Amino acid sequence: MKKKVIGLIDGQSGNIGSITKAIKDIIKGRPYQLKIIKSHFNYSSFDKIILPGQGAYATLMSNLKKFKIIKPLKKYLENNSSYLGICVGMQILSNQGYEDKITKGLGIINGDIKKFRNKKLIIPHMGWNTINLNKDDTIITNSFDKRDFYFVHSYIFQNIKKSDVLAFTLYGQKFPSIVKKGNIYGVQFHPEKSHKHGLNLIKNYILKS
Amino acid sequence: MLKTRIIPCLDVIKNKVVKGINFRNIRVMGNAVEMAKYYSLSGADELCMLDINASYQNRKTFIKTVESIAKVINIPLTVGGGVSDLSDITDLLNAGADKVSINSAAVKNPKLIRQASLRHGSQCIVVAIDGKRHKDKMRVVIKGGREITKNELITWAKKVQSLGAGEILMTSMDTDGVQNGFDSNMLKKVTSNVNIPVIASGGVGSLEHFYLGHLTRSTGLLAASVFHSRKYKIKTVKKYLISKGVPVRL
Repeated sequence: MKKKVIGLIDGQSGNIGSITKAIKDIIKGRPYQLKIIKSHFNYSSFDKIILPGQGAYATLMSNLKKFKIIKPLKKYLENNSSYLGICVGMQILSNQGYEDKITKGLGIINGDIKKFRNKKLIIPHMGWNTINLNKDDTIITNSFDKRDFYFVHSYIFQNIKKSDVLAFTLYGQKFPSIVKKGNIYGVQFHPEKSHKHGLNLIKNYILKS
Repeated sequence: MLKTRIIPCLDVIKNKVVKGINFRNIRVMGNAVEMAKYYSLSGADELCMLDINASYQNRKTFIKTVESIAKVINIPLTVGGGVSDLSDITDLLNAGADKVSINSAAVKNPKLIRQASLRHGSQCIVVAIDGKRHKDKMRVVIKGGREITKNELITWAKKVQSLGAGEILMTSMDTDGVQNGFDSNMLKKVTSNVNIPVIASGGVGSLEHFYLGHLTRSTGLLAASVFHSRKYKIKTVKKYLISKGVPVRL
């Protein structure tokens, strides 16, 4: 049987050690292979792409540009191929980010990435918080509803269509913690740091889609 | 709702967890990798490890220990101790740390905070502040409390925030290691003057101390002895906090 190919994009935006290890543990003994993407790639040779990210929106976009990853990634996403964006890897699906300066995003899911509105909040939103599912999903099933995941971010998805929000979380306001459009998923939290529920989420993404 | 984090702290020399009172009378508590794995499995929300004897020779073993720990846990890992420049920060992040904590080096060279947060993002730069009362003022101390600096505590806390620190790890040298409770007064002063997360550290000895720590508006509560000595399990602390109405992750 032909192995399914999972691409993990290293956008030099934080450590990919934990997510790499999580994926390797999941696919061990299963018909999958993991390839790390560090430069231009052939978008049709991947079955799934995971993009973890930390830090600033602008930094990740400029890194992806520098490594010539944007064009193939956009094509891949425009084909509605399977994708999981983590933290900033989720945020860049938007039209633009407002961190430091306005940066154009991939424009796959309509919306902007802006700071939490409440000025009195402790920022970054750092720690474990609950996700609330808006609807059942084949990958993010009901078993994940009301579970805690590890978040660390100061910016959130805003002006997004309700139908693109799969789960929300409360921190001074309601904000999207999981976005979904077709086969494209984005999670604001870090499943690779979120103990067993986080690992189950990555497992479901890899095995169920 | 955001949960209050319970963070066991491992003071490490090479690959062993140690504990000393006011940084003296050091004794070995166990193997660092085994203890980290145990805490991750038993409900710790995050793990902190500090190289408390960062000599050149010990450092290599310590970094290997960080690598081994990062491989066996899947909760966030903060690493500090002996961080003096940008390359130390990069080394620890590469070894698998999610956040790096800077202490004395930040006091000596505050620009390091800005450079580090610009390069790696604020979210992974923790500034550890050791505070102590001196002549009726709260001051920043370094070298494990042996050196009192000119920095006034609150001024320094505000400054590290403005330089781009993502979090403050606040230890009171007046309460550390003696298990009489967190320094609520000092912590409240800090949390009411910054709006980045503050981790309370130094002095936990009883369950009630965790609750009092939560009341200081610290979003992380760090403890060492009560966990290493197995006086309390993390679950015991969390169940107690829930009974007091504090949101924690179970």
